[in-house]
Formats: sequence, structure tokens, C-alpha cells
Amino acid sequence: MSTKIGDFAIPGDLFTEIKSHKGVTIVGPGLRRNEERPNSLFITQPGKLCFKAPNVYWIEGRRKRYIPKKGDLVVGIVTKKAGDTLRVDIGSAEFASLSLLAFEGATKKQKPDAQVGDLVYAKLLNAHKEMEPELVCIDSYSKAGRLGLLSNEGFLINLSPLQANRLLDVDNNPLLRTLGRKLVFEIAVGVNGKVWINAKKTKDVFTIIKSLELAEKHSDKDIMHSCRKIK
Amino acid sequence: MEDNSKVTLSKSILDMKFMKRTKERVLKEVDDAEGKAMYSNEITDEMKKAGNIVFVDTSLSNCKDLIDGRLSFGGMNPEVEKLMANDYAKRVEQIEKKKEKDVTDEEMAKGYSTVVNTISKKFQNKKNRKGFVKPSEEDQY
Repeated sequence: MSTKIGDFAIPGDLFTEIKSHKGVTIVGPGLRRNEERPNSLFITQPGKLCFKAPNVYWIEGRRKRYIPKKGDLVVGIVTKKAGDTLRVDIGSAEFASLSLLAFEGATKKQKPDAQVGDLVYAKLLNAHKEMEPELVCIDSYSKAGRLGLLSNEGFLINLSPLQANRLLDVDNNPLLRTLGRKLVFEIAVGVNGKVWINAKKTKDVFTIIKSLELAEKHSDKDIMHSCRKIK
Repeated sequence: MEDNSKVTLSKSILDMKFMKRTKERVLKEVDDAEGKAMYSNEITDEMKKAGNIVFVDTSLSNCKDLIDGRLSFGGMNPEVEKLMANDYAKRVEQIEKKKEKDVTDEEMAKGYSTVVNTISKKFQNKKNRKGFVKPSEEDQY
């Protein structure tokens, strides 16, 4: 029996009624191509099956462990420096590798000064189940944009990946911009649940951490309601 | 002609002017047969039953239209805020605009319904306003 959109699915379930646009279907986390049956998807994570027109499918669950997916923007901790590559802890089962040459303006002679314990905001270049995830700090035009090393002054907290995703969903969750109206701070929210916060006052950092942790236990509607009160 | 497809026409006949279309067809058949023979050992059964949909992997950010998580507020990091102005600020502006409009619509509907209520009350006479109307004596018989 095939799972339907909006249903709760568990790993091993099949999904067959796939819509495609020009023969292409875009697959987000929690789904895998089924080799045994043509034009069907395997569900690999427990959660709700979601669909976005015209051809995007993904699974939304409450898992605590982060599973890397190509294109994710993550915050990672440098744990080891080996030659030209860094081992970065992004909360997944395996450490990700980040080349020192994958920074803006880096050359063989002039590499960025990254030490063990530093934080990076990077993009996942590839994430196959058989290989270690690979990070980059530049886009396809070799520009850094917002990616790169994060300053040593901030604080790092771990949220659940679900909560991190909720914070980034600006349409439904106004928490970050409401905090931004009141406090002076900068933040890097990784899809992996690692969040780096830096503010002028340490007190503000604690306020933000507290509010992010509290928001985890409230629905988007409640958050929106209480944010509206703060002017 | 389809029945005796095994019969091959000689090259000189195919070269004749009126055989132009047949010649094209024959050449295509030969080409296809050659191609099949060439790739038959490369196309496996797995490839044949793999289906016709191409699956492309993407991150959750693209699925749910999430924003870039690197943000700065209140002039903490002017560099980041400059980059934010291009996408984040525009998106927030759009949402606020939508929300403002939503609220006014809602209020408008609410206000309108109360107006309708008060006006309709005005047209009701005292008898109709009562919850229970005592049946007249004629109805009892």
C-alpha cells in the first residue's frame, strides 16, 4: 500500500503516486529512490510526508540526529587539521571534510587561519551515504557571501534540527526578527541544529538562548501571538 | 512491403529517384540495428526497469523555502546586513505587508457583521425579539 501525502510514514514504507515536472522529481530528506520498483520512493526516516507543487517531496520528522543533505547550510566545529583539509563536526554520524582551499581568495600559499575549535558556517557540497560529507565556504562563483569562519567571540548552542528549521521558516515564525527589533546581535543558524550567537552584551546572548529554547516547546501560532505583543 | 521486409533491395534500385523515401527508411533500420547491437551489452535489465522519473536530491531549505541562517540585527555585522538586504529584508517586508492586509480584512469582516446585527435588530419588533412566542389561542384548537 502506498503512503499518501500528509500521512505519517515510517522507514520502509513505499510511495508510488509521484508527480514529476518534465520528468524530474525533487527529493528532500527522508526519501530514497527505490531500485526494485520503477518510479517509486522508499521512506527512510519517520515523519510526515510533505509535498510542494509541482514536484518536491520530503519527510518532516522530529529526529534529533542530523543527517547531511546536499545543499544544507550548517554550522560546524573544526576538530582536526590535517594538511590542507579540516575535519568538521556538523553533528552527523561522520565528520565532514572542508578543504582550506574552499575559502574565498584562498591559494596554496595563502590559506585562511583556521584553528581547532573554530566555528565555520559552510555549505554541504555533497552528502552520499557511502562517503564522508564535504563542506565548502564558497558558492559556485567562488564568492564567500555569508559563508566562512565565525568569530571567536560568540556562543554555540545545540538545538534540535527541527527547531533550527522552524527558526528559519520566516513565513510562520517571526521569533528571530522580533528579537532583532529589540536586541543587537548576529546569529548563524545551521540546519543541523547548531546555532552560533554573538551580541554586544553577554546578557543579550543569554536572553536569546533562553528564548530559542523556550520557543521549542511552543507552536508557531503561539509564538506569532506573543511576538505580536512585542512592539 | 512490411510482410517481405526480409527481402533486401539492391543498392542500385535504392539509388533510383523514386526510391528516395524507401532508401531513407532502409538506412534508418540498418542504423538502429547497429546501435542496438553495439549497446546491448551495456544496457542492463536494471536500467530498463529503472523508470522514467529522474530524482534530484535537494536540501530541506529548498523544500520549505527556508532563509539563509546567517543573520545580523541592529548593525552588529554590517557586512552580513548588506547581504541580507537583498533577500531577507525583501521577504520580511512581503510577509509584513501580507499580514497587515490579512488583519484589516478580518477586522473588516468582523466589523461588518456587527453592523449587520445592530441594523437587523433595529428592524425587529418587540414580539420577534422574544425567544419564546406563546401560541395563540386559535392554534390550540
